[in-house]
This record gives sequence, structure tokens and C-alpha cells, in this order.
Amino acid sequence: MKLGKEEIQKLVLAGLMVVGVIYCYFNLLLGPMGRSQEAARISIEALGPTIAAAKAQIAKTAEVERAAPANMETTRQVTAMIPDGSPVAWFPPRVGEFFKQHGLDKISTRLAGEAAEKEMPGFRRMSWSIDLPKVGFVPFATAVATLENEEPLLEINGLQIEAGRDDIESQRALLTVSNYVKQ
Amino acid sequence: MSLHLNLYHEVIRAKELKRRDPLKLTMYGLAAVVAAFAGYYVLQAVKLHSLNSELATVKAEFDRLDPQAKTAKAREDELQTQLKAGTLLVKKVENRFYWAPVLEQVMQVVPREVQVTRLTGEITGESNRRCALSIDGLSAGADARNVAETLRTAIAEKISPQFKNVTSKFRTLEDGTEMAMLDGKQVPTATFAINVEFYSGEERAAEPVRRKK
Repeated sequence: MKLGKEEIQKLVLAGLMVVGVIYCYFNLLLGPMGRSQEAARISIEALGPTIAAAKAQIAKTAEVERAAPANMETTRQVTAMIPDGSPVAWFPPRVGEFFKQHGLDKISTRLAGEAAEKEMPGFRRMSWSIDLPKVGFVPFATAVATLENEEPLLEINGLQIEAGRDDIESQRALLTVSNYVKQ
Repeated sequence: MSLHLNLYHEVIRAKELKRRDPLKLTMYGLAAVVAAFAGYYVLQAVKLHSLNSELATVKAEFDRLDPQAKTAKAREDELQTQLKAGTLLVKKVENRFYWAPVLEQVMQVVPREVQVTRLTGEITGESNRRCALSIDGLSAGADARNVAETLRTAIAEKISPQFKNVTSKFRTLEDGTEMAMLDGKQVPTATFAINVEFYSGEERAAEPVRRKK
């Protein structure tokens, strides 16, 4: 079949229309939709791990909360040993009473310093100087042993025992102790 | 054979041409392509709608979980701090240095020929704790210096099984100016000062060496 001039013109026109339709379809309709789909897919994929991490965090916290009472039982028991109120008010009488029970009456306890415990929020460490001007070595050593066993929050950092110049049977003892108290 | 004359051949030819009009055929083809494209577009629109619905669901879940996770994280940090403080407190209680056994051991090795006039002790450090003892005294006997030397070595031997890196050294050892009465006899004396040093507790593990890139 031989095409006339008019028919060739029509064919060219139809071809142009096809090209126009395809261009509009892909660029104006399908393109934005594809981009929207891709954006939605990326958002879903990005939120997936975040949601999983959030769920894991909630589960982890629940596990920590569940185990916390058992883990903190020892801490609770230790903390219960610390009396409320200012340590200057309760510590010297407590030490005085302790040594009196061991037959060491003369005693003076003074605050030597205090420091916050950075690694242990809620606690601070207080240093004390305990002066026992007249003690026998054996009763003193026995008292030290009992003190170390009965007061787990107290530690003797230094001690000094010096023979008396006048009374050879008695010594003077000086203890430097520290103990943990509530903040 | 009879002769047939087609007087409508021009009309038939025009009809034939009209039926095979390329533009018309192209339009038909184009219509078919457009229909296929429209179908595909609708399919994609449904898919997009489905994705948007899924995204909305996921976002809603995230919006619900995110504040909970933040609260949980804060709570966990708080609990961990409390647990860490508690563990550290218990560890410090358990790792305390006990003086009574040291005093007992020193007391056991001091012979009757020795009078301790001054005993000082100090503990320093956190995990690996250094203990320094200073024992001043007076020894008496035919060989007073040897009595003091025996005491020095006895202290080190007595303490060594319980503690690490025990050292016992004389700070001073001098002949005394006074005589002492021992078993009814006048014997010479010596004054001494012994420094005893030892370590208690666990040694802190060495920090790993950072490799250079």
C-alpha cells in the first residue's frame, strides 16, 4: 500500500502524540508516584530498626527492674545500717559507747574531713580521728577486732599506738577511720 | 463468460481507504496503550496507598513506643546508677583492710626481750592497698641487735602468707645507752625502728595498650 502525503502527515502526528503521551505518563504520573513509593518504603525501613530498638530497650528495662530488688537487697541491708541525721550527731556517741563496752572510757572522736563519692551517688565518706589516751594493748586490739566486725561501713585507715611515758602498762592509741554515710 | 461492469468501484475504493486509515489505526493502538498504562497506573496507586497505610501504622507504633523507650532508658540509667553504687559499696565493704589480724600477728612475734614503744600503721590505695607499718622499740639481751634482727625477720615471715610483696627493713638500729634488767641480769639494749610494707587486695588489671592506626 502506498501512503499519500496526507497519510504520512497523519502518521507523524500520531507518532508525536504517542511520544507525548508516553512522556507525560512516565514523567507526570508514574514518576512522582514511584518517588512517593520509594520514600514511603525508605521511611518504613528506617523506622523498623528504631521500633525494634525501642522494644528492646523497654524489654531490657523491664528485665533490669525485675532483677533490681534482688540485686539491691544487699545494698538495702548495708544502707539500713546508716542512721538518719547528721553523722556528727550520731557517730562520736556511737564510737564512744562502743569503746565503753570494751572498758575504754576515755575517748574523743573528732571529724577530720569528708569527701563526696563520685562513683557512689547518694553516699559520702567521712573521716574521723579517734583518740584513746589510755588503753591496754590487748583490750584495744580486741576492741579493734570487734569494731571491724560490727561496723562494716567503717574502715580504719591508720592507727598509732604509743607506750605511755609515765605508765608503762598503758598506751595511747590514735585511730584514723572513715565511714560511709548517706548524702 | 458474461461481462460485469462495477460502476461503484470508486465508492468501494474510498470505503476501503477509510477503513485502513493509518491515523485511525494508530488511534486505536494508542487507545490500547493508554488503557494498559492506566491499568498499570491504578495498580501502582493501589500499591502506594498500601505503602502509605503501612507507613502510617509504623509511624503510629513508633510514636507510641518512642516516649516509652525514652522513659525506659532514663529508668534503666537510674537503676544502673543505683546498682553500680550499691555494688561498689558492697565491694568496698568486702575489700576493707582488717587491722586486728595484723596486730595479732605482730603481737605473736614480739619476744619478751623486746618492748615496742610505738606502732603506727597506715593504709593507702583503693584496690591494691599498700600498708605501711612502723614499729619502734627497745630490744634487750646479750646480743640486743640480733634480737631486733630476729624480730624484723619474724614479722616478715609471719605476715608473708597473708599479704603480697612484704618487705621489712630497719629504719634505725642503734645500741642503747641504758641497760635493762632481764631475768635478774643487767643486759645491754638496742633501739630499733622497723618499717614493714605489704600489699593487700587485688591488683588492678593493666589498661590495654591502644594500637596506633
